[in-house]
Amino acid sequence: MGTSSRRWRCRSCGYIYDEALGLPEQDIAPGTRFEDVPEEAFYCPDCGTEKQDFELMDY
Amino acid sequence: MALELTLAETVINAQAYADGDRVDAAFRRIRTEAPLDVAELEGFDPFWVVSRHADIKDIERQPDLFHNGDRSTFMSSRENEAKVKALTGGDPNLIRSLVSLDGQEHKDLRGILFPHLTPRAIRPLEEQVRKIAREFVDHMLAKGSECDFAMDVAFLYPLRVIMTVLGVPQEDEPFMLKLTQELFSNADPELNRSGKEQTPEEILKSLWETTMELEAYFGAVTKRFRENPSTEVNSLIANAKVNGEYLNHRQIMGYYIIAATAGHDTTSNTTAGAMWALAERPELLGQMQADPSLISAFVEESIRWVVPVKHFMRSAVADCEIGGKRIAAGDWLMLCYQSGNRDETVFDTPFDFRLDRGTNPQIAFGYGVHVCLGQHLARMEMRILWEELFTRLKSVELAGTPSRTISNFVCGPKHVPIRFTAQ
Repeated sequence: MGTSSRRWRCRSCGYIYDEALGLPEQDIAPGTRFEDVPEEAFYCPDCGTEKQDFELMDY
Repeated sequence: MALELTLAETVINAQAYADGDRVDAAFRRIRTEAPLDVAELEGFDPFWVVSRHADIKDIERQPDLFHNGDRSTFMSSRENEAKVKALTGGDPNLIRSLVSLDGQEHKDLRGILFPHLTPRAIRPLEEQVRKIAREFVDHMLAKGSECDFAMDVAFLYPLRVIMTVLGVPQEDEPFMLKLTQELFSNADPELNRSGKEQTPEEILKSLWETTMELEAYFGAVTKRFRENPSTEVNSLIANAKVNGEYLNHRQIMGYYIIAATAGHDTTSNTTAGAMWALAERPELLGQMQADPSLISAFVEESIRWVVPVKHFMRSAVADCEIGGKRIAAGDWLMLCYQSGNRDETVFDTPFDFRLDRGTNPQIAFGYGVHVCLGQHLARMEMRILWEELFTRLKSVELAGTPSRTISNFVCGPKHVPIRFTAQ
């Protein structure tokens, strides 16, 4: 992923989805870009918030 | 330098929260003059007053550094905290619920209900909730042209929803409402257990009696649901196991109690406060009727506006820095959500009720791993109530002076007299 890896923050609780790490507990492999995370399956692992309520962090 | 005494007294004063403007004025000065400073009050351990939105979030995002359960999770005098420890055998909190747990225990217990309360998981409940909302709209409109929206609708509708989700029979709802009010409104003679002003010692005695009454009720619930498991939330709690073991007595009672009390009282307060705001700004009704998509913004702004949970306490585990101040291990901190939700650096015109805030970064549900477990259900309940009510309402205005519960913890409006016409 290198420098192109981005981080997305849950607006509700501040959990950070890091593209470099993915989210293995939801079967999202490391390196998965946020755009490619399946909207119908993904939710914030800390508070349940859905994909549309994540925001891109400055990077 | 310590926080000015009058400001420190105001941020823990239950009557100041009932007054509304008084506590807002104090927090406005605190945010400007001493946004993160120590309050020193007789009878209380010193505590940091955390008034800024950014500092509250910073603390809540570091749950390993700032613990919920090492000290009392809500403001408590030194004497009362010692008495609670004596009653519980060392726990500074009378009720061992999610809000007073840390680390793996918190993660394990939160994980029991978390999968059942995500937006996706609660979506199938929408029709059932809508049916309940319609019943309460019918109930309100049947009153003619006036009602006390807090007492007649706002206290009862979220109660019915949460009790349905929990699996509590309707005939037990008045009992649950009474005990919830005793638990959270103990400084208010109109709603507390004794019906009079109480000393701190009497408040603690009342809280203990209420807790014991709730435990007696839920003891039977555990037995019932272990014999006949169902999909209702109380059954999930009764039958949950961590590492192969049922939850222990304090864990299971704390879980039932927080679900059955905080699960509706916060939503009730917000619903009542939303109607108060609407009745003072009747033009908003027409705007939302013309564009129902604004109802979600109305819900979010009403949560920011009411802030039903006024504070939670945290204690620092290690020396650290927050907002440019050195915090020492063991320091006690008061996270003032009412102040965070009025922070001028985050919200334009924070003392205006507005539907055009776009993404509303309100922090009334908290932030981080302790963010309210029921937030998605609460939002859904409120949205559905307003969708159902606004299609049948022609006008609404105040019919008297609203009033708030006397409390510095979980509270909001207790009377919202309105006059209305139906379509």
